[in-house]
Amino acid sequence: MPIRLLEPPDAETAAAMLAQSATDGLSLVPRGCGTKLSWGGDLPRVDAFLSTRLLSSPIDHFAGDLVATVPAGATLAEVNAVLAHERQWLPIDPAGAAQATIGGIVATNDSGPRRQKHGATRDLIIGIEIALADGRRARAGGRVVKNVAGYDLARLMCGSFGTLAVILSATFKLAPLAPASRTVIADVHDAAGASDLALQINAAPLSPSAIELQAPRHRLLIRFETTEAAAIRQSQAALAIVEAAHGTGTVVEDEGERDAWRRHEALVWAPGGLVLKVSVLPTEVAGVLTELERLAAGTGFAYAVVGRAALGVLAVRVDAPDDISVMAVEALRRVAARRGGAAIVIRAPAGVMARVDPWGDVGAASAMMQAVKSRFDPLNTLSPGRGPAGL
Amino acid sequence: MNNRFLDRLAAAVSPGALLRDPVELLTYESDALVHLRATPGAAVLPRSAAEVQAVVRLCHEHHVPFVARGHGTGLSGGALPVADGILIVLSRLNRILDIDIPNLRVTVEPGVTNAEITRQVAPLGCYYAPDPSSQSVCSIGGNIAENSGGAHCLKYGFTVHHVLGVEAVLPTGDMIQVGGAVLDPPGLDLLGVMVGSEGTLAVVTKATLRLLRRPEAVLTLLAGFGSIDEAGEAVSAIIGHGIVPAAVEMMDRLTIDAAEAAVHPDFPKTGAVLIVELDGPQDEVHELFAIVERVCHASGASTIEIARDAAARDRIWRGRKAAFAAMGRVSPNYYVQDGVVPRTRLPEVLRRIRDLEARSGLRIGNVFHAGDGNLHPLICYDEAIAGQAEHAEAVASEILQYCIDAGGSITGEHGVGADKSKHMSKMFGPNDLDAMRMVRSAFDPAAICNPGKVFPTPRLCGEVPGPYRQHPIERAGLAERF
Repeated sequence: MPIRLLEPPDAETAAAMLAQSATDGLSLVPRGCGTKLSWGGDLPRVDAFLSTRLLSSPIDHFAGDLVATVPAGATLAEVNAVLAHERQWLPIDPAGAAQATIGGIVATNDSGPRRQKHGATRDLIIGIEIALADGRRARAGGRVVKNVAGYDLARLMCGSFGTLAVILSATFKLAPLAPASRTVIADVHDAAGASDLALQINAAPLSPSAIELQAPRHRLLIRFETTEAAAIRQSQAALAIVEAAHGTGTVVEDEGERDAWRRHEALVWAPGGLVLKVSVLPTEVAGVLTELERLAAGTGFAYAVVGRAALGVLAVRVDAPDDISVMAVEALRRVAARRGGAAIVIRAPAGVMARVDPWGDVGAASAMMQAVKSRFDPLNTLSPGRGPAGL
Repeated sequence: MNNRFLDRLAAAVSPGALLRDPVELLTYESDALVHLRATPGAAVLPRSAAEVQAVVRLCHEHHVPFVARGHGTGLSGGALPVADGILIVLSRLNRILDIDIPNLRVTVEPGVTNAEITRQVAPLGCYYAPDPSSQSVCSIGGNIAENSGGAHCLKYGFTVHHVLGVEAVLPTGDMIQVGGAVLDPPGLDLLGVMVGSEGTLAVVTKATLRLLRRPEAVLTLLAGFGSIDEAGEAVSAIIGHGIVPAAVEMMDRLTIDAAEAAVHPDFPKTGAVLIVELDGPQDEVHELFAIVERVCHASGASTIEIARDAAARDRIWRGRKAAFAAMGRVSPNYYVQDGVVPRTRLPEVLRRIRDLEARSGLRIGNVFHAGDGNLHPLICYDEAIAGQAEHAEAVASEILQYCIDAGGSITGEHGVGADKSKHMSKMFGPNDLDAMRMVRSAFDPAAICNPGKVFPTPRLCGEVPGPYRQHPIERAGLAERF
């Protein structure tokens, strides 16, 4: 039977469709624009997609409170276009912001380079409305930033990959748009040098919004978004640190800066390829990069890395035949594990995804994750098999 | 409580770590919300995570409810014992296990005090950001349970933003590791829901926390305004200029007078004072601070004092932090409320509070974290006058209703605990609470882990309304309420 597409025009209908699906025993996969449908585990059983795309208004911007409530189906770009009228933004910058919906970003806890300053999606969310598997609608959190009433279900939904409930809307803490921006592009000799430099910048009295690493070219992009005067001063101070570390650096602004960041994103996120997320302690980044370099040279695969060098979160792209990609996943997983970290497959060609567990070992907490899943979705009809720990 | 259970419990912990003597148990009858009291069947003071696990496992096997307690500084009765249950006191798990400055991580046991972490890492140029006012005595385990904030959470967030991983004992006695030193562990964000769950999901036995480097510059300003409304306008204008201060605090005249009587901070005798603190790189802070100063003048500030050094800054904060306890100088008793409103609704909510003040005949002081709309109305009364304590509590409850009406919350930092569970259904509907209970039942199907907290239950018989009483640690001068 072909997969049905349910496209509810409002939250109430979305919830009713869930209730009906539960009655009919149909399995549902929530989706927004579908930019991340290939993320997470294979979907062994999908009867219908529940699209949130029509849940795209209103965007309730409480500018004086630096807060906005946004529907799941709005894209990040649409949301930020509205918030920009008051010179504010939702400071999340994952790849593909033009197409990615809020629901999808929350469900995958996605984020980008500015996580350095603003945190990930789970750090900015303050409230949520969800439709439960049985069709009831529930809220948690609220529209005030400071709030400790009740369990924080909003954070639980971050990264749950549509396995617990359907996200209808979310409320976030916002940030003011900075009046000015400068980026220092620094080239150094090797992976260890790039990582060390990132840690030095992070320890300096500066307020970078991003400290991004690129490999294999051993480059850092260090961004300052603040007042015009402070952006200039801080980028010069960063440049001095780069030069003291025997690197070479340039400062870019305006179109040159935007272009540098577009190219940075495309290094890993251009269509195709295998993409992993590797998380380790910041001091282990250099070691991971060095091992990756050796691995790629030994096996002969092409790769690219971008990542939050000072946070220890890297996106690694591998372009290789399926067999070698599968081997690269296993090898990188061993490297990360040996260094106390983890590697997750974010996106992979179908032939690779079929042969790897995208999540890897979730550890002793997996039984509790199963228990939570069984309470929220006792019939296992929400994105079965897609989530971590086999949820 | 059956003897076989108690014998096994005694064998599970070090000699002398099981307390049953009613006199010894007196200490543990309440947390800092002292009007809610219960005597536990026994208290245990384990020395290790393994002992905690053994205790919880026994409770699970014998279906005995248990409550975890840190240093008892909570203000919502979150560590109120269950009569005939076990109180697990974590104060002996007080070791700092690892300090990793290059990665800005620290791993601690739950009984370590908040301020102790900063004290240990300060010589290395670092600090632990969440700063609840009880930080010199409150425990990290308690901070995690309550998702504690502090005056600087406007910029730096709450405990949930600074805890990277925990080791915890589940109500079944199983030990789990959730999160860790590394970001983005695979799997559901169980940590996100455990932080702030008020001890109802698990007992944390170890935590890995994020450290921050000390900012290069800190500048603090104290401005006097004719009214709260004018001070509020200044806050709006600061935010409107795209500035996110490290802290923004406000006090009204009644609390200014009380603070003056108590600690003489020499605040201006105006209708309201505003404290604004910026921190960060030197140049950036100075540039933005000039804007804050300009904004305060434009909004009608009659006086502006800039703290030029640490001593001046400490004096300003002393005045602010003394506000709660100082109410004792102007009123025999007072009730501290904790509610939140969207910051832009502050003027309207404060007007309702002033009307209520006139209507109720009780004076109400207002001190609040103005940046994030967290109100702490102080309702003054005299318990010697029959019925006035009950009246004060009713007034405090009405203020919570104003917070809910304005789209806010019944608690910004003190927690729901036993005190406010009755208000939960005003803020959340049955479906919302059911969704939360799904999490509860996944972690604690037998409902033995801190039962009676957070979720609404019928009011206990014989419970008396809650005037503010000084906690022993406050009397000893170890902590101030904030």
